[in-house]
Amino acid sequence: MTDSAVQDVAAPSAKLAEKMSVRSLDFYYGDHRALKSVNVKFYANQVTALIGPSGCGKSTLLRVLNRMYDLYPRQRAEGEVLLDGENILDPKLDLNSLRARVGMVFQKPTPFPMSIYENIAFGVRLYEKLGRADMDERVEAALRGAALWDEVKDKLTTSGLSLSGGQQQRLCIARTIAIKPEMILFDEPASALDPISTAKIEELIDELRADYTIAIVTHNMQQAVRVSQFTAFMYLGELVEFDQTDRIFTAPRERRTQDYITGRFG
Amino acid sequence: MSEATLSSVAGSAVVNAGRQKALRRFEIGDRIFRVATRSSAIAVLVLLGGVIVSLVQGASPALSKFGFGFLISDAWNPVTEKFGAAPAIYGTLVTSFIALLIAAPVGFGIAVFLTELCPYKLRRPIGIAVELLAGIPSIIYGIWGMFVLAPFLQAHVQPALIATFADVPGLNRLFAGPPYGIGVLTASFILAIMILPLISSISRDVFDTVPHVLKEAAFGIGCTRWEVIRSIVAPYAGVGLVGGVMLALGRALGETMAVTFVIGNAHKIHASILGPGTTISATIANEFTEADGAIYTSSLIALGLLLFLITFIVLAISRLMLMRLEGKGAR
Amino acid sequence: MSRLQASRKARSAIVMGLCYASAGLGLLALALILGTLVWNGFSGFSLSVFTRMTPPPGSAGGLLNAIAGSLIMTFFGVLIGAPLGVFAGTYMAEYGRDTHLTTVVRFINDVLLSAPSIVIGLFVYEIAVVPMGHFSAIAGSIALALLVVPVVVRTTEDMLNLVPGTLREAATALGLPRAMVIRHVAYKAARSGLITGLLLAIARISGETAPLLFTSLNNQFWSSNLNAPMASLPAVIFQFAMSPYKEWQALAWVGALLITFAVLTLSIAARVLGSQRTSQ
Repeated sequence: MTDSAVQDVAAPSAKLAEKMSVRSLDFYYGDHRALKSVNVKFYANQVTALIGPSGCGKSTLLRVLNRMYDLYPRQRAEGEVLLDGENILDPKLDLNSLRARVGMVFQKPTPFPMSIYENIAFGVRLYEKLGRADMDERVEAALRGAALWDEVKDKLTTSGLSLSGGQQQRLCIARTIAIKPEMILFDEPASALDPISTAKIEELIDELRADYTIAIVTHNMQQAVRVSQFTAFMYLGELVEFDQTDRIFTAPRERRTQDYITGRFG
Repeated sequence: MSEATLSSVAGSAVVNAGRQKALRRFEIGDRIFRVATRSSAIAVLVLLGGVIVSLVQGASPALSKFGFGFLISDAWNPVTEKFGAAPAIYGTLVTSFIALLIAAPVGFGIAVFLTELCPYKLRRPIGIAVELLAGIPSIIYGIWGMFVLAPFLQAHVQPALIATFADVPGLNRLFAGPPYGIGVLTASFILAIMILPLISSISRDVFDTVPHVLKEAAFGIGCTRWEVIRSIVAPYAGVGLVGGVMLALGRALGETMAVTFVIGNAHKIHASILGPGTTISATIANEFTEADGAIYTSSLIALGLLLFLITFIVLAISRLMLMRLEGKGAR
Repeated sequence: MSRLQASRKARSAIVMGLCYASAGLGLLALALILGTLVWNGFSGFSLSVFTRMTPPPGSAGGLLNAIAGSLIMTFFGVLIGAPLGVFAGTYMAEYGRDTHLTTVVRFINDVLLSAPSIVIGLFVYEIAVVPMGHFSAIAGSIALALLVVPVVVRTTEDMLNLVPGTLREAATALGLPRAMVIRHVAYKAARSGLITGLLLAIARISGETAPLLFTSLNNQFWSSNLNAPMASLPAVIFQFAMSPYKEWQALAWVGALLITFAVLTLSIAARVLGSQRTSQ
């Protein structure tokens, strides 16, 4: 897809602000080129879904946005990823600061082996010195924000591992928003959950949009339709089409997009 | 109000300024931690290097005085300051060899018993018991050998051995002389008992790596249990078994306390394995604190260096073999 | 049934019979050792073991100074050795995974793990006793520490490798620096495994004799001076068992029983902790 195609979609509403912009991004696992010249934009206070068959590079793209790939040797990205105009691929960039600004929620719930309260307070304490009352307030706010407060308010000192899968996932979301990120990345956040928990997570994502820029990887097209305003379809490491979600699913411009959403492959 | 606290400040300059300060602190901490852990890893290497260097240094007076003759001389005379390592090397190798001869088959037997024959309920408890016994300090085996095994062998086993083989050419030399009780054979027995749990538990782990489908397939075409073990389990696990035995050999060669009590501490190479002898480690343990004179001490350190080199080679081979088996399991 | 089949069956039965026999033999030998140990240990046992010092030849006494010495030197051995081991293991599992340094250190560490402890004793004699000019509890502690290191390195690396990578990623995604991820998340997740390793290391050194013989030597009297020779249970057992005196021999058995009891307790505790972790 060409750069002009991205510009096309920027038009729909003049009010939309660009939060993050990916420009001709290539990604390599060793010698294998997993992303090929990808261009995509993430608008502030919008949910952007990344869809495509497995192995298409959607998770890889997500892991570039907070440079999670930096944990592993022999993985590298080329191109530009601008967060508020600043290139986050710059080697001099402070990664921890980036990751505090761009939070991430994973496929499987990953509560830390500590109490519910500590799971949230732990990350906050790193960056801010809060008094006890302020911290209590912050934890409560985060748990409320993740729609978990009413379920756990009486057992904040029990282990985070004692919660159900759906609750654990919301705890991870609470943990992420507690450190006040600007953007949140969701990597198939509901794929390990039952339908009821999934519905709660989707509802939550819609609410979180008011405060954050959101990117979500999903293999579930219905989910993309339900939660996102923009959708990017990826195939074999390329970004095939990027547009408003309703247009992608009703009037795709690309043949491959159409084949995918009508279930002809993937 | 809660929502206000979360949303309004997001991305604000205040938060970022606080973060910048915290981040600088982290960066220093991170670097210190990284350097500390890396230095510790390197320290493990330095440790090994240090052991070798200090032993070579300590051994050099003796080695330069006696040269290569140190290895083959059987002299051990503190008064004339003539020392040779031959009896100690001989004792070390012979006791370990006999111990393996006894412990390896019995250990394999126990492993087969634990993986194939033992009722399922008893498998875990017996397996755990064997592993726990592998952790009992060697000094316990040593004093048991001196107070219980040696008198028993002296009274019952050794006279019988001497009588039985008295007229067999060759073997009568091997089992000759008065039954002392303590001696090379007794030390070998103790060593065998001591490494038995080690061989059993490693062999059992190795047997467990054999895929069930392989065994089931063999049973499926009508193999007997023994045929399955000999033709399927043993070839598959072969490298691991040899690795385990080598590991046990490494332990036996370097073992000190189990041997020192019962070896007899005689710097002589007897034809008979009933006679007293010595090993490298027993010699060092018995004589080091009493050694006076630079050459005496240095000779003992030279013995230690020899022991370290021998066990290092054996253990290195054992590790390489066990690593090969692990690689097989991963594939 | 054909003759061939019958002979095959018979052969299998014979070998399996031998396996039963070897299991019986092995377990019998080990049971005998523990049996005599408990019998002889308890027959010499009395409260004075814990209240009196090691006696001169031919008179009664206790093991108080030896027990205290063992505890002191084990404590300092772990204090020196464990942090070094945990740090080295941390590097191998976290920062330096897949580096050449890690591969080499792992190999060397495995060799050190089963290297003869008497050689470690000689080494410490050379680097500590000779320069200081005398035997001392410090030298003994160093020798024990060098035996703790390989055990702790091994378990630390193994246990940290078991911590799921997703947990590390999740912590990293919060903006945690690497050191924090390791110290606050990976260590916590691997905690019971790390403690298991520590217990195993203590079990390993609490019975070690050879490296103490020419580092801390022995001491017939009470001493809490780290810069002087110090008694230890294994060294006392060695000296007393080799002696011709009945009282000393009886105390050696008591000491042996105490050590075995301590080692078995530690190993069982380590095992229980370990199984708790896996059942989670």
